[in-house]
Amino acid sequence: MKYIDILESRLGRKATREEIEAFTVMWSEHCGYSHTKGYIRKLPKAGTGGNAGIVPLDDYHFLAFKVESHNHPSAIEPFNGAATGVGGIIRDVLAMGARPTAILDSLHMDKIIDGIIEGISDYGNSIGVPTVGGELRISNFYKHNPLVNVMAVGVGKNEHLIQSRATSPGQVIVIFGGATGRDGIHGASFASEDLTGEKATKLSIQVGDPFAEKLLIEAFLEMVEKGLVEGAQDLGAGGVLSATSELVARGGLGAVVHLERVPLREPDMLPIEILISESQERMAVVTSPDKAEKVLAIVKKHLLFGAIVAEVTDDGRYIAKYKDEVVLDVPASLLEESPEETIYDYTPSSPPKFKWIRFKNVDAHDVFERYDYMVGTDTILPPGFGPAVMRVKNSSNSVGYSLSIHSRADIGVQDPYWGAYITVLESVRKTLSVGAKPLALTDGINYADPDIEPMGLAAQIRGLKDACENFGIPVASGNASLYNTYKGKGIPPTMVIGMVGRIDNLNIPLPKKGPIYAVGFSDFKLEREKELLTEITKIVNSGRFVLSMHDYNNLTTFNHVLNNLGLHMKIQPPRTEPVHQMIIVFGEAKTTVPSRKIGYCF
Amino acid sequence: MSIPKAQVVVYPGSNCDRDALWACKYVGFDAEFIDIHSDIDADLLVLPGGFSYGDYLRVGAVAAREPIAQKIKDFVDRAGLVIGICNGFQILVEMGLLDGALLQNSNGRFLSKIVELEVLDNTTPFTSYFLKGERIRLPIAHGFGRYVKTCDVNTVVRYVDDVNGSDELIAGITNANKNVFGLMPHPERAIEKILGSDDGLRVFLSAFNYIRNNGGVRL
Repeated sequence: MKYIDILESRLGRKATREEIEAFTVMWSEHCGYSHTKGYIRKLPKAGTGGNAGIVPLDDYHFLAFKVESHNHPSAIEPFNGAATGVGGIIRDVLAMGARPTAILDSLHMDKIIDGIIEGISDYGNSIGVPTVGGELRISNFYKHNPLVNVMAVGVGKNEHLIQSRATSPGQVIVIFGGATGRDGIHGASFASEDLTGEKATKLSIQVGDPFAEKLLIEAFLEMVEKGLVEGAQDLGAGGVLSATSELVARGGLGAVVHLERVPLREPDMLPIEILISESQERMAVVTSPDKAEKVLAIVKKHLLFGAIVAEVTDDGRYIAKYKDEVVLDVPASLLEESPEETIYDYTPSSPPKFKWIRFKNVDAHDVFERYDYMVGTDTILPPGFGPAVMRVKNSSNSVGYSLSIHSRADIGVQDPYWGAYITVLESVRKTLSVGAKPLALTDGINYADPDIEPMGLAAQIRGLKDACENFGIPVASGNASLYNTYKGKGIPPTMVIGMVGRIDNLNIPLPKKGPIYAVGFSDFKLEREKELLTEITKIVNSGRFVLSMHDYNNLTTFNHVLNNLGLHMKIQPPRTEPVHQMIIVFGEAKTTVPSRKIGYCF
Repeated sequence: MSIPKAQVVVYPGSNCDRDALWACKYVGFDAEFIDIHSDIDADLLVLPGGFSYGDYLRVGAVAAREPIAQKIKDFVDRAGLVIGICNGFQILVEMGLLDGALLQNSNGRFLSKIVELEVLDNTTPFTSYFLKGERIRLPIAHGFGRYVKTCDVNTVVRYVDDVNGSDELIAGITNANKNVFGLMPHPERAIEKILGSDDGLRVFLSAFNYIRNNGGVRL
């Protein structure tokens, strides 16, 4: 059944032109998750849900984090596509009441696309959030569909945690930030299509303004600090429509939105364009009428635009008006209830014999030295060592956290289930390798066309679910990007896993001079994994630096990092299968698993 | 005397302001933020790094023309200490308090890493804790750090290797009175060993003790 027929049967009448526009956005795959929400519901979860995932860090602080893709925009317009990808995910973390503290990016492309790197660099550097880690996978698989997955992380104080919903009728919604223009109209629907579709034009791409984003971060945090924010949501895909309707629908409420009050950059916009524009650097804040003036004063102080745009109502209707003209009047919940596609049961089989599909070996320094990874002075372990390690200043007993972003599309293309499963396992190993305890993960599902190959998607998410359940890692947030195809040909199932871990001892072991050992097994047997994980923790606790990678033939970046420390290494890299259980240890380690000297560090 | 006081000027778009405040407090300053409309009440003024006004115009150009600019000039005339780091250096140059110009890095790219520097002048209030000729390590993070000379200047620190195409490898300079110090590297990011270097700590310690020994300039 076509979505328009579903809509009209739910409404009980013909849909208006404005309703078709609005539901095209809200029920797009990008906003509505039609193909994935049935699967996502079954994942083991952490936190309460909202704009970003939340896990407690210590008694006073929480971590907010999420990965999000900006694949389609980056394919068409690399610079702005990637830049606004950073901006969007930063606001998701911010909306939870956390100060954004770190960015990581997972890039899949056929060569280093300068515009994408420049877009991330330009935006992240300007807003003063360090880009502390990432992965760079170069392969022809991504010739037409580069993948740009950005993970943002923030730290907040428990008393500042903000809900992603309105809570009572009578509250008002302030929209503030940059002014609204026509950019990015129907960006959400374009991001849910094959790239050869008619919507693949630059008109659907949002344009980034990092200066406005920086002002918005400081303004919003000041509102949070002063207790003025009762709920918040960033404006991303679907703009005013998506942000305001989600805020009220989650609270079982309704809203009256006054579109003529939205500050505009282009004066002659149609009401429906104001409603669905995806102009960047904007947020929606739920507050009480008596606090709204204080909110607007902060907006003005930070040189931004803002207005009280909506009132929260108790009748469950979402009514958008332009002056006296009603543009849209539908049940708020209906906007959120995008149709669900059939989900499939995938039955996993044991891991097959995997082939090596090597992605190109590049020195990631060429990329991460263009990112400011030190601003904030909390980066304890910079890019290149494995996971990044950050500290929390002024925390009780100096707590820190590890951050990693990882994927195994080379395995995913051979077996989507194990591709996802192994990515989770290797992320756990990486987290342990810096002395951290895994807290939770955020999943970035990148897939081709689920209508042509539905089983691959089912397998990918089942692999994620099984790995999380077997190793006790909850999913705190996630994102799905489907239809990564060009002329019908798609990318390999690419599950990007962002993992956060808690660190109680910030004296992370670093590489030292001396012998280097390969510890573990060159092949993979699932039943051995828990022993390996225990051994990694033991070895790190004994003060040894541990390197956990999937391909030890690909050490260009790590060698460069060692040289920065004034060290060099001479090793015979261990030969392993594509999926293995092998780590490299600097110094001799007492361990129950096989250990063999492979060279030395000098 | 009272505890030396530092103020960090937060321009719209500054993003190393909190790091600079942390560094000032770390060495013992009574430190606070001020904005472009504030009055100056300090012994040390810090112009932090960042992207003031997005650096959409020439770097530092808009910030240099804010209401606080005249107050900063008066403060300099009273022999107050001013340190401009990265974007702060660019602002000082735009204000005419330091000579020269800062242009785009010779490779056209933003560059973020820890680099080696040589201290040429340890007689300034900001560098007395260093030895002349000492090699130190500080982070850089800039797209427009290529220093171009327009006249003879007092070079305080220079890069050991050519990182951005600066004339004579210049990384930091003072004015003739040596109370205004501008540099592209970030001493405030190198105040703890755990961050990769603590060489920047001595910049703040030097200033702190200079004020201790010579008295401050607060009215």
